[in-house]
Amino acid sequence: MNEFSELLKSILSPGTFNEMLRRATPVAIAALGGALTEHAGIMNIGMDGMILMGAFFGVLGSFLFSSAWAGLAFAILIGVLVGLFYALFVIKFRSDEFIIGCALNTFALGLTSYMSRAIFGTSGAKGYPSLPDLHLGVIGKIPFFGGVIDGHSLFVYVAVLLVVILWVFVYKTPAGFHLRAAGEKPETLRTAGLSPDRMKWIASVLCGVLCSIAGAHLSLGYLNGTFAENMSNSRGFVAFACVIFGGANPIKTYLASLMFGFFDAIGLRLQGTISSDLTGIIPYAITVIMMVYVVIRSNRRKKHAQKRDPKAAGGAA
Amino acid sequence: MKEKTPVLVRYRYLFSLLVSVLLAFGIGAIILAASGFAPLQAYGAMLRGAFDSARHVGDLLEYAMVLCICGLACVLGARVGIFNVGGEGQLLLGAIFACQIGIWLDGMSPWLVIPLAALGAMAVGAAYAFIPGVLKVKVKVNEVITTIMLNTIAAFLCQYLAKGPWKNANKNLVAATSQLNADYWFGKLIPRSNLTTAVFAAAVIAFLVWYVMQKTSKGFEMKIVGQNPRFAFFSGIKTDRLVLICMLISGAMCGLVGMFRVYGVEHLYKSSVSNDYYFEAIMVAMIASYQPVAVILLSLFFAILKIGAQGMELIGIPSQIYLILQTVIIFFMAAESGIMASIDAAAQRRRAKAAAQQRQKEAQA
Repeated sequence: MNEFSELLKSILSPGTFNEMLRRATPVAIAALGGALTEHAGIMNIGMDGMILMGAFFGVLGSFLFSSAWAGLAFAILIGVLVGLFYALFVIKFRSDEFIIGCALNTFALGLTSYMSRAIFGTSGAKGYPSLPDLHLGVIGKIPFFGGVIDGHSLFVYVAVLLVVILWVFVYKTPAGFHLRAAGEKPETLRTAGLSPDRMKWIASVLCGVLCSIAGAHLSLGYLNGTFAENMSNSRGFVAFACVIFGGANPIKTYLASLMFGFFDAIGLRLQGTISSDLTGIIPYAITVIMMVYVVIRSNRRKKHAQKRDPKAAGGAA
Repeated sequence: MKEKTPVLVRYRYLFSLLVSVLLAFGIGAIILAASGFAPLQAYGAMLRGAFDSARHVGDLLEYAMVLCICGLACVLGARVGIFNVGGEGQLLLGAIFACQIGIWLDGMSPWLVIPLAALGAMAVGAAYAFIPGVLKVKVKVNEVITTIMLNTIAAFLCQYLAKGPWKNANKNLVAATSQLNADYWFGKLIPRSNLTTAVFAAAVIAFLVWYVMQKTSKGFEMKIVGQNPRFAFFSGIKTDRLVLICMLISGAMCGLVGMFRVYGVEHLYKSSVSNDYYFEAIMVAMIASYQPVAVILLSLFFAILKIGAQGMELIGIPSQIYLILQTVIIFFMAAESGIMASIDAAAQRRRAKAAAQQRQKEAQA
């Protein structure tokens, strides 16, 4: 029993939550982008590739211009291009979004590994200028809470800001309303004289930018100016799981990424008791259960709506 | 109702495939030249890398086999309208269970162990495909998303098993099971290559899949279910059951590939049993527009690219260029079907319009 309480104490220490926030952020930023494309009705599997591109070109920019900020700007520029590229295939050519996403992941892996070896001579690069860590002064002195949030890389804080901005954008602005309509009922948007495709283009470019920022944060902030082959390490798929879990709501998506981060972080604490591979399974299993629950619930609602008003079948979802 | 594929369509497909490949090599050449390599020399090295020795030919045939069976597994699902993305997880689980069966039954006759391991791998793969399959059929949960999640879960689970309960005694191998008894290894067809007798089993499976899909009434039912499930349902086909069965077979095939990888090449389970091979196979299946014969041929082509790329390493070119070549072909082919579809749709609209006008005229006359 004593052992158990010791373990619980180590799990619930500020260190764990600090680690959770740190590990969640690269995923969270990408997931915010994924939430936008999800709202626009695109199932975005290609986030992993987008993150990888951002990570590599961030380091490349940092190397070329000897400044992490230039690296970030370079990554964002590439993010715009990747977003446009993705939209061109998925929206303009109406290709299968799953195949394009898969291909984008593989393409990014090939391009970044190739270029990394051609430019840096090795499959990795490190020691280039990185983004600053932020120390919050007085706030950092608050017991527990201070220990959790103090001293992170810049984008850990920016991510929280982005959550708020995107939540307002998606739910409180006309553009956000149109974005959701483009995914849920494109015909209504068309009737209103607006193009659903345009909203989809905007969503994928924003997603490209956010994923690139996530990548740049990963290489320039999280790992202090380091690029390694395939460093996104399936974070894009984790981000995708977060989007599904959070129902593409930015706040819920962010919380989902914190959950994934938490299970990632306690894996380290539990070493010796439970394998981190088993704790790693938990958030994915929860996501699947969550999906099933959401679908069953919406089916039941549809049925109820049908009973009350047979004409409105499928209207209430 | 005999289905005919107009010859023109096939030529168009071949033409666009050829153009895509040429464009991919063109773009590859630009990238190579920009990073200071001679493109022709590089492609020469690629060809040599694939064909310069029997060993490399054997390796590429083995890789083509993996791609082909996984690709056909994907086709089988896609034909009835269920997209099995979970092959990677099914493959890994099949591999680790097949391996463990071999270790548990160590000392028994290979004639008993190998069939049991194959059956075990297929059962595990099918069971793992059953989860997303039944969720899709009964609850209508998107199978693509569930299978992606299940892939990660399977990877974690296998890593846990290989690190924990089923770990080998050798401390240097961190996440791997014990090695199989050499009696159970598949015989090498070409010495020192990865090509083993498993390729015969694979050929039989490929033939069966092709035969059932293209030559039997079941195959035709599958096609109807995939193209128009409502029509299929009202014409008395048990659509849900057929979809689920196809998903199970698809999973079983992926599990079996895992067994082939373990008993043929690795001889123990570790994560290099599959390196996202199934995702590559999905792309092959897509480029082949889900036609079994095309899957087989394109698997060979992509295997040549992959094995050949290792030859480029010899003259100092990063082999990852092959990933770029491969994906550029996929981008073009994916976009091609989109463009072609929109052209087709336009032509159909024109025809429908003309027919409507014709009818109007007849009505007036």
